Amino acid sequence: MLEIKNLKTSVNDKTILNGLNLNIKAGEVHAIMGPNGSGKSTLANILSGKQGYNVSGEINFKGEDLNKVSIEERAQKGIFLAFQYPLEIPGVNTNNFLKTSLNTIRKARGQKELDTLSFLNLVKKKSAELGIDEKFLSRQLNVGFSGGEKKKNEILQMKLLEPEFIVLDETDSGLDIDALRIVADGVNSSRTKSNAFLIITHYQRLLDYIKPDFVHVLSNGKITKTGNSSLGIELEKTGYANL
Amino acid sequence: MKQDFAIDINNISSEKMEYRKKNLELFNKEGFPNRRLETWKFTDLNKIIEENFENLEAHNKSEEYQEVELLKDFEHNYIILINGILKSNNFKHEDQKKFKINEYHENINNKIEIQNSLISLNNALFNGGYSLEVSSNYKFKKPLVVYNYFLNNLENKIVNNKNMIILNENSGLDLIESNSDISKKNFIYNNYTNIKLDENASLKSYNLQGCKSNGFFYKFLKVCLAKMSNYEDYIFSSGLKFNKVEEDVDVIGENAKCTIQSAISLSLNEHQEIKTQINHLKPNCVSYQKIKNVLNKNCKGAYQGKIFVKDVAQKTDAYQLSKALLLDDSSEFNAKPELEIYADDVKCSHGSTSGSVNEDSIYYLMTRGISRKKAIGLLTKAFLFEIADSIQNEEIKVFVEKNLDRQIYGY
Repeated sequence: MLEIKNLKTSVNDKTILNGLNLNIKAGEVHAIMGPNGSGKSTLANILSGKQGYNVSGEINFKGEDLNKVSIEERAQKGIFLAFQYPLEIPGVNTNNFLKTSLNTIRKARGQKELDTLSFLNLVKKKSAELGIDEKFLSRQLNVGFSGGEKKKNEILQMKLLEPEFIVLDETDSGLDIDALRIVADGVNSSRTKSNAFLIITHYQRLLDYIKPDFVHVLSNGKITKTGNSSLGIELEKTGYANL
Repeated sequence: MKQDFAIDINNISSEKMEYRKKNLELFNKEGFPNRRLETWKFTDLNKIIEENFENLEAHNKSEEYQEVELLKDFEHNYIILINGILKSNNFKHEDQKKFKINEYHENINNKIEIQNSLISLNNALFNGGYSLEVSSNYKFKKPLVVYNYFLNNLENKIVNNKNMIILNENSGLDLIESNSDISKKNFIYNNYTNIKLDENASLKSYNLQGCKSNGFFYKFLKVCLAKMSNYEDYIFSSGLKFNKVEEDVDVIGENAKCTIQSAISLSLNEHQEIKTQINHLKPNCVSYQKIKNVLNKNCKGAYQGKIFVKDVAQKTDAYQLSKALLLDDSSEFNAKPELEIYADDVKCSHGSTSGSVNEDSIYYLMTRGISRKKAIGLLTKAFLFEIADSIQNEEIKVFVEKNLDRQIYGY
């Protein structure tokens, strides 16, 4: 589904990713772990199409080179990034935002846009699964939401938009144990044979709930080690310094 | 610009004619305001008129009544003004004994003299307008919509009119002024509105623009607030080629409250300015102004806000904020806040910001499939809707929001 070949990125002559290779197939869950500053969030941003980086190398999504594809087109094609720090957007009503986003993506996929009633029924069902109180949906987007509520809102968007390739950027940070379980359940119940996940995290604890097929260690802009789910447990004991 | 206006009004007393002539002389001496005047430093009206008009003439015709389109799905009373002249009214939701509606007649003995050449010109040439008085203890059951229609050939014309609104004690009114320019001509509308709120009266007024207009609008509001009265004015006048609204508010009774808020979206070659002066003359009063502008493509906006606090006006709580969102580099926004305070126990503050749309917010919305253009639209709307959101009457809020939506996304 996603093939990254020799990806190099820099900002203001500072190299961040330095020849990263990664191959993710449909149905797989990959985790990327690594110390602070190793380039994990940069990788997430690059995949979403964020501007401001010098990028070389190849990113192919379902056989298409993503380098020339804009941010919104990537989303429309099925790439989703759950933000580490979801933005607060005053004045934008959460429900309106969700409906606009969903209908834009449905339209791009050639599906019929949902009317208000069908949308509200859908969003009610999905938010109930995540334990999100309905009143949050009529509030301004992420404004005054707690860290956990913001992360749940990201997962709600993921469940609504049904993307094929999902990047979770430190989704576990700022979550208490209960919220972590709810978020993990939300992810696990979204796993299918036709989608794939890339989970970026510092800690093993999220991987206790979402069992990855592969764990990669990102260090100095490259993947330096790849293993199965036991690699995460090992790292938790030994730390990154021993690699 | 040299301009020869003639007073072409019949059937008025010699005193009134004298008064008009005197005012015309005053205007002739000053001419249209230019940027040398402090209150017009951001808006050189004289130059603007020179560039846009030739042989400007006063509009003196008495207009025929014409059928006009009324707002649908919104229960309301209404009055219809055509080219400034009161033509029709309907107050079907109200007790007919509790209000008076008439054509405006000037009482020249009670005239407040204000140094302003446009008001002098209006005094000299005004032709029509309405006067509304609401009886004590009567609160309007439904909003009153003032349809301000501009029709027919107004090319190179200046329409001058005056309105008067008096709310006696404990009365209340929600007033929506809806401007519709069907003429699509190059004309000037010069309005003077006098508002008096007696004890504990409440006026909430909403100014909407029904369609784009090539008109050049100037409105001066003189507002007088007695004890415990509440005045709220919302200015949503997007779509006018030129607009300047001046509000001069005297807070003459204790515990009165004055709120002026504005949400305006300016586009290609448009120019709008709001100027407020709140004169706190008695203690324990509250005033609040929040002015929001979105500017896109070679347009110009300005806000001049002055808060004056007299020495006796202790415990005044006055706050003023201007926020501008510039969508490109070709537009300009100027703000000039001013505080003049002679009392020592007051809370007065002002703030002004202007900036562009937050790129991180655009990025976030784009990662959800929304195009950059649509994301900017959403953020712009969010910026302006904050003002509409503060409207307490749900019915009016919904109505205003629909109107604002059209003003932002085009008519």
